[in-house]
Amino acid sequence: MHGSSDRARLWIRVFAAPILLAAATMTGLLAALLWGTAGQYVAWVTVGAPVAVVARAWVRRRSQKIGPISPTISGK
Amino acid sequence: MRARTVRLWSVVHTWTSLVSTLFLLLLCLTGLPLIFHHEIDELLGYAPQPEAHASAARATPQVVADAALAADPGRVLQYVSWDKDEPGIVTAFTNSAPDGAADNATVRAFDAVSAKLLGPVGVGPMLIVLKLHTDMFAGQAGKLFLGAMGLLFATAIVSGVVLYWPFTRRLRFATIRDTASRRVRWLDWHNLIGVVTVAWALVVGLTGVVNTWAELMLNQWKATELTSMVAPYAGKPSPVHLASLDDVVARARQAAPGMDIAFVAFPGTPFTSSHHFAAFMRGDTALTARLLKPVLLDGATGEVADTRALPLYLQALLISQPLHFGDYGGMPLKLIWAALDGLTIVVIGSGLYLWLARRRRRAPVRTDAFARRAPVPS
Repeated sequence: MHGSSDRARLWIRVFAAPILLAAATMTGLLAALLWGTAGQYVAWVTVGAPVAVVARAWVRRRSQKIGPISPTISGK
Repeated sequence: MRARTVRLWSVVHTWTSLVSTLFLLLLCLTGLPLIFHHEIDELLGYAPQPEAHASAARATPQVVADAALAADPGRVLQYVSWDKDEPGIVTAFTNSAPDGAADNATVRAFDAVSAKLLGPVGVGPMLIVLKLHTDMFAGQAGKLFLGAMGLLFATAIVSGVVLYWPFTRRLRFATIRDTASRRVRWLDWHNLIGVVTVAWALVVGLTGVVNTWAELMLNQWKATELTSMVAPYAGKPSPVHLASLDDVVARARQAAPGMDIAFVAFPGTPFTSSHHFAAFMRGDTALTARLLKPVLLDGATGEVADTRALPLYLQALLISQPLHFGDYGGMPLKLIWAALDGLTIVVIGSGLYLWLARRRRRAPVRTDAFARRAPVPS
């Protein structure tokens, strides 16, 4: 029992974000088709969400690579 | 998931991706400029521009039809269309015969008010890009082949989602491991970009597949619905003198109240029978503007013969088109579409790189194993 609930928790941890993004994308794709101008605004945010996630991962990785500014240099 | 199951899905993912890689790259690369084809045509001077007019009195459909025939002597009219997004322009298709091949049609734009010829439509470099994207200059066979590649793409996406679990279950979402191995970093990017774009890629891929079946669907409609609609006219000769296009459009509007004309197909063209005009009417909302309703009108008298909603499969085709093109949400959605297309290129490219890197990694092991087994020369 314990093992299966752990597995379910792990499954949710792995797939929660992708499922939410997929649902957002589908909502946006249909919103622009069904709700006119208001739907277009929804589509820009929700269909654009996956692009934002990738951009955020890229920026985070770039900033990790560059690393924090050393106190000696910043002190000068 | 058992190791054997993972291996099986991995084989499916690898080979469905590899077989379709080259064609998917072609589709993604040609699809990118096609997202902005209006803007590119405008920039290169291939988009006809309507004239500025003080009065808003539009030329009647027959005046535009006469202007189109005068611009292309000796040819016949196939279609006249009115684009909702470009109200200042009426487009006319002429060809050597009503059932002439689409590739032989001449498409010209006319001013909606003065009926003056504005120039050709669908020419220039974007036409080459479009042909590469839709059928690779191989006609219907090319379309169906690309449709099959689209189905392989969908299978690769589904198998990729299955494999996402064993490859990422020990990682936080969106983790790109900071290791020395370039292969591991690209595996993480491949998994992340692949999984976040999964819904968009599936929708665009599958709607693309549906679009490759357009001609087959149209033939099915003609063989079933259209045949039953024109049954009372069976055996009657084709009209010698056609009814005025003004009458045809006016009667079609009466037969479909609340709808506007999208395009008229002339008798004998692929969208109608040899005896009828077919006026395709559209609604005024974002959705109903895509769902056309045909009104059949007698070619000689212009009287309404029949009108029915399109069958579900053709409605699905019409709805699938904006979902494939991404042209229904303004410029921001086009930019997002382009970004997602670019990300798909990264997923395809990184997938190919990962496959090559894995093969390269295995190769020395095989060579060593061979060297161990090989007899030492005396």
